Amino acid sequence: MPTSKKQRLRRGAIAAVVVAAAAAIPAAQASSHREAPLIAADPAVDNTDVYAFTSPDRPDTVTLIANWFGLQEPNGGPNFYPWATDARYDLNIDADGDALPDKTFRFTFTTDDRRGGKSPTFLYNNGPVTSINDENLLFRQNYNLELIEGNKTTTLVRNGRAAPSNTGPASFPNFGTIRDQATSKLPGGGQVYVGPSEDSFFLDLRVFDLLYGGNLKEVNQDTLMGYNVNTIAIQVPKTMLALKGDPKRNPVIGVWSDTEKRTLKLEPGKATPQGDFVQVSRLGNPLVNEVVASAPIKDAFNALQPVNDAKVQALLDRVNDPELARLIQQIYGIPAPKTPRADLVEIFLTGITTKAGGPIKADLNSQLNNADVDPKKFQPSEMLRLNMGVPVAKDPNRLGVLAGDLQGFPNGRRLTDDVVDIEIQAVVGAALTGKLVPALAKGDRVDKNDVRFGDKFPYVGLPRNRAVNSN
Amino acid sequence: MWKSLPLLAALLAVAACASPQAATPAAQQSASSSLQHNAESLQAKLRRTPQDAAAWAQLGATHVELARVTFDPQHYSRAERALTESLRLKPEGNGDAFIGRGALANAKHDFAAARDWGQRAVTALPDNASAQGVLVDALTQLGDDAGASVALQRMLDLRPGVASFTRAAYHFELHGRVDEAREALNRALESASSEAERDFCRFQLDELKGRTNEEALEVYRGLVAKAPSPDYLVKYGKALDKAGKPAEARAQFDLALQQLRALGGDDLTAALIAADHGDPAEALRFAEKEWAKRQSVFTADALSWALHVNKRSAEALQYSDKAVALGWRDPEVLRHREAILGSLR
Repeated sequence: MPTSKKQRLRRGAIAAVVVAAAAAIPAAQASSHREAPLIAADPAVDNTDVYAFTSPDRPDTVTLIANWFGLQEPNGGPNFYPWATDARYDLNIDADGDALPDKTFRFTFTTDDRRGGKSPTFLYNNGPVTSINDENLLFRQNYNLELIEGNKTTTLVRNGRAAPSNTGPASFPNFGTIRDQATSKLPGGGQVYVGPSEDSFFLDLRVFDLLYGGNLKEVNQDTLMGYNVNTIAIQVPKTMLALKGDPKRNPVIGVWSDTEKRTLKLEPGKATPQGDFVQVSRLGNPLVNEVVASAPIKDAFNALQPVNDAKVQALLDRVNDPELARLIQQIYGIPAPKTPRADLVEIFLTGITTKAGGPIKADLNSQLNNADVDPKKFQPSEMLRLNMGVPVAKDPNRLGVLAGDLQGFPNGRRLTDDVVDIEIQAVVGAALTGKLVPALAKGDRVDKNDVRFGDKFPYVGLPRNRAVNSN
Repeated sequence: MWKSLPLLAALLAVAACASPQAATPAAQQSASSSLQHNAESLQAKLRRTPQDAAAWAQLGATHVELARVTFDPQHYSRAERALTESLRLKPEGNGDAFIGRGALANAKHDFAAARDWGQRAVTALPDNASAQGVLVDALTQLGDDAGASVALQRMLDLRPGVASFTRAAYHFELHGRVDEAREALNRALESASSEAERDFCRFQLDELKGRTNEEALEVYRGLVAKAPSPDYLVKYGKALDKAGKPAEARAQFDLALQQLRALGGDDLTAALIAADHGDPAEALRFAEKEWAKRQSVFTADALSWALHVNKRSAEALQYSDKAVALGWRDPEVLRHREAILGSLR
């Protein structure tokens, strides 16, 4: 942007005034070493949620949804919320229960930034965008989708178009059209959407502050209302995910998402300063950091591969003896169930099964229940486990399995499952007794999302386009 | 040092009244807005649950970042208060607060204290990248290159991102590996998620590329207007000197020296200014004092130059050797070295 001479002169004059004034008084900091950012968030690669459920309108398929980059304010220009181009976004499937991915759907991104050139601008779009190829859309991102199975890699989508951030009602008069155009068919049946959506998670984020801080009086506000996330949604036939391609004999799959970024090696002598990809974020069950992991192991957990979960004693200890149960006992006098918590081990680490010696008398969603699984190779690990054989519930209950609706969390996770309330109930032993604890029945008092979910793929809400505070 | 802060805050407030654009330009506001937003949500959280030691610690660390970005020293006292509260609530194993304390000590150039806090943070949070970052900054300034490299590699492997890539760029630069430094800064820019981070990366890329004198005048005048810190004043002064304005340049150097004398604490910059534009004896006093505290490439360069301007070039050479031993090829450092070598021929 050219600065007029007049403006420049004025700025110079202001600088002179400030400097002259400063002469009288010592300045703040002797900043002679380079102060680089330290507490730098990297939300673009942070997983926020994972969902896995039998598609209600296409029950021979499963829909997997993973979100990143939480708390997007719809008015967040000028760069809005791009996918990282130096990262791998993975959705992993473990059907044989060895805690290693049998299949990884890997998304990688490139940016096509058209803001330079003849008329340089900082604008994301320079006019209304009515289609995904609209020439007014200046900041674009494309993705490749690969399916990795052991040593075999198959490209499923090359140069797919990710839907752009929703920069406002004037820029995107009909985001639904853009989203439809950004939804691609997959070879072998199935479809994929990559782009922003309304954050489907509904909860009072403050519930954990308050539980840890001593009371539950102040909840009932969906603290994620109005924010968007970056979503990858993929719908594929159950036969593609099930062990041996047979969802009848082997209906259970484990699902988790992770993000990897390439590190950088300092040692000299390399042509380029590159390094291995390292896992920087991981997510299977919701709220594991809040309910299970504590601060000291949170960082380790994000870097940990599921296959190593059972070797990390600190993690096992936290599942077997969660601090949350003891806090609830202090506040509500609801006795914390006896430890070690084999019921929580089932929910978080093995899946609900009678075959691992756990206390819950049901066979629901452990890979151990797959007919072709070798139990000797089974490894407890934290992942979301879905029994694809449970039929779609006619009238889904937000409390899922705890309320007798076996299609809901912790059997996979639907968009409408109230995972906060379910997990709080589970922590006080509801899965063990089969009874909900009445004192906590209201939970965070946020029972559903503020936006209705769609009845067809990708089911999530369209991204908001108004500033959170203007709602 | 801290006594002077309220005065400066008052000055900035006056400047802000006189000219809002100068003290808080729009770009500056947007650069700090995401951090400001973080600070506000943490404050809201703490109003509900004031016993949350981790939230106090995060608030403290956020204020250290805000001070870096806005140049408003009030953030240091806010950081100090929040971190003190966090440690009062949880004195042991409070990794987040140790990180905040370490970051604050680094910002105050108390690098030995920063190293100690960094080590405590790493013990409490062995897999946390920010804890390693505190250690990297402290060890680099203390001259422990091997220790800094180990911590930095660990930081990169834990969290390849803006914080670790920008530190890698500095590491490469200090080792004379400019192409890799540029590469690391480009990766940092790619990972940046806020305007403040992007500004920092672009500024460092431009510094690496070098500036024409006209660009230097414009850039440093802007920075001096925002924050009359000694470092920026020196750079602005040098640009004015080159532009044939020795009187104006002189004013910047005097101002920088005056501030540094009042501040105490870190004598590195004071030594270099005094060596070029002030009293050689004072320069040597400053340089020796700082060298006694930390034997790094920075203090080696300052001491070599101070010895040289005191006509002790033979002694200066050994320190100049230390300054370039890692491969650092900063133009100023090379200028000092050439003059020292020249006088010994």
